[in-house]
Amino acid sequence: MFRLEIFFLGFLFILGAAITAVSWGYGVGNLARPGPGFYPVMVGAAIAIFSFFIFVSELKIKSRKAVLDKAGAKKLALMAATFCLWIVTMPYLGYVLVTLLATYAFCKIMKLEGWRKPLAVSGGTALFLYLLFDYWLYIDLPRGILG
Amino acid sequence: MEGLELLYNGFVNSLTMVNLVACFSGALIGTLVGVLPGLGPTATMALMLPFTLSFGPTTGLIMMTGVWYGAMYGGSTTSILVNIPGEAASVVTCIDGYQMCKNGRAGAALALVAVGSFVAGTIGILGLQFFAPLLGNAALAFGPSEFLCFMIFAFVLLSNLSADAPLKGGVMIALGLFVSSVGINPMDSYPRFTFGSETLMLGIDFLPIAMGLFGISEILNIAIEKYVKPMVNKIRLRELYPNKSEIRRSVAPALRGSVLGFFVGLLPGPCTVISSFVSYSLEKRISKTPEAFGHGAVEGVVGPESANNSAVMGSMIPLLTLGIPFAAPSAIMLAGLRMHNVEPGPMLFINFPEIFWTFIAAMYLGNFMLLVLNLPLVGLFARVAVIRPQILMPIISLICLVGVYSVRNSLLDVWVMIIAGVVGYFLRKWKYPIAALIIGIVLGPTTENSLRQTLTMFRGDLTQIVNYPISLTLLGLSAAFLAYKLLAPLWGSKYALKLEADDTL
Repeated sequence: MFRLEIFFLGFLFILGAAITAVSWGYGVGNLARPGPGFYPVMVGAAIAIFSFFIFVSELKIKSRKAVLDKAGAKKLALMAATFCLWIVTMPYLGYVLVTLLATYAFCKIMKLEGWRKPLAVSGGTALFLYLLFDYWLYIDLPRGILG
Repeated sequence: MEGLELLYNGFVNSLTMVNLVACFSGALIGTLVGVLPGLGPTATMALMLPFTLSFGPTTGLIMMTGVWYGAMYGGSTTSILVNIPGEAASVVTCIDGYQMCKNGRAGAALALVAVGSFVAGTIGILGLQFFAPLLGNAALAFGPSEFLCFMIFAFVLLSNLSADAPLKGGVMIALGLFVSSVGINPMDSYPRFTFGSETLMLGIDFLPIAMGLFGISEILNIAIEKYVKPMVNKIRLRELYPNKSEIRRSVAPALRGSVLGFFVGLLPGPCTVISSFVSYSLEKRISKTPEAFGHGAVEGVVGPESANNSAVMGSMIPLLTLGIPFAAPSAIMLAGLRMHNVEPGPMLFINFPEIFWTFIAAMYLGNFMLLVLNLPLVGLFARVAVIRPQILMPIISLICLVGVYSVRNSLLDVWVMIIAGVVGYFLRKWKYPIAALIIGIVLGPTTENSLRQTLTMFRGDLTQIVNYPISLTLLGLSAAFLAYKLLAPLWGSKYALKLEADDTL
């Protein structure tokens, strides 16, 4: 069975090895005069060694309960997609409008029933953030089409 | 006398409107966070960092500490009334607190916990007030080798205490140290792991990573898990009076918990959690009626709750005197202070004495505010526990997004936060201690500087460390701890150090 943790540990091992290799190129120096690569070489080696031993111990475990079921994975994907959409659209639509839409989307993903409650929560959140950043903290954020 | 004068000045500074509001709002938000199961004090402090940047370093520090110990106060409310711990340090309070509630003594338990926490907080602040400047002066004698050995000691303890496998703690610390090494190295102005990117030259910002790992990952966790509406037992103000026997039985556990918690707070690891467990087992061991524990013993409620409040103050000592955070919340505080260009450590008491003394004075005020806030409003706070995550989490998600963007107007920071949040979600599920990762990031630059300075100072001959007694002691303690961890399983499970699964924070 595919286990994401094993894949993650493999990635960490490669990352550790890559950090060590790249850092070696920065110049390790010697013990009396360590160079800029000295410390990251040690850190990279530590990542590679630790992740290798965890990898080996995890391989010995035949089966482990999945972290996410299908419904959970769907929810996680939808939440992550909403976060990404907020980042992509915010500079164009402005933070107030995108906040309103994203809060509504989060409410629906988390199964808040009906449309009145999600609308009230999203409207309240957008208004609160607008008042907080524009009137209290005086932080200028993109307003997009509402500019 | 000089100390009293400085404290007086601290009170004068802390009695400004902005500091009082910061103290009150920190304590209130902390209590709410403590009451709400799920979102912990570390996540909240990370989420609040961008907002504290609008004020001075003292105000920011006051607000964040208020959140931390407010959460310790609030955590007991749901433990007692609902049998759900508001945060990890209140897990142990459920055992006897909920039994007291079932016996009709919920009001008394809440009142005694509030008073016990107030006493513990005051003792903790007194300890901080007297020990921190003394240790700060002593720490002036610390050179690079002492700092390096302190780091090694902290890393050894952190990797062993906060995970179900020490190697997982080790890999998280190493990963944190790597993240902190990205950018121009200040020692020789050499760019590392930047790959030509100008943005990466300045390094990876701490704030989005902390907000992602603690805030977003927690939001995802709560959103994905099935929600079961808790049943809250109603409480009225007149029910808050404990009887004479309960008061008498609470005095000694509160005092013992306060002292014990303060000293546990000085150690690396999730000090608030450890202190409450140690206090509970101590109270049970010395009790004349150990069989009452688990059936509503007031000592098992007041002792641990006093200990976790006092531990918060104890853990401020390594942060303020050495600039070394031993727990995730203090790592967030260190990052916050650095954002204000204030570097805690031995020089704090010389360069910024007003910050320390204003902070101490505000802690006294905050502790009193919490007592006043918690007793009459306990019924209201209990009702907060039933606010559905379907309403709360979307609001907090958007506060995270807009908050992290507002610090540098950088969409890259928002991307980093989201990626850290998703990664953090899986790390929690796989039981990797994300606190170790954060502490690794915060301590990375100091670790590298002290390592390279020590090597240069010793001309590469590390055996010279025997000439430095503090360094040698710290290395000896680290070695002893590692030997203990390796040998404990051979002696039997009785001697093994174990924490609850959700202490990975």
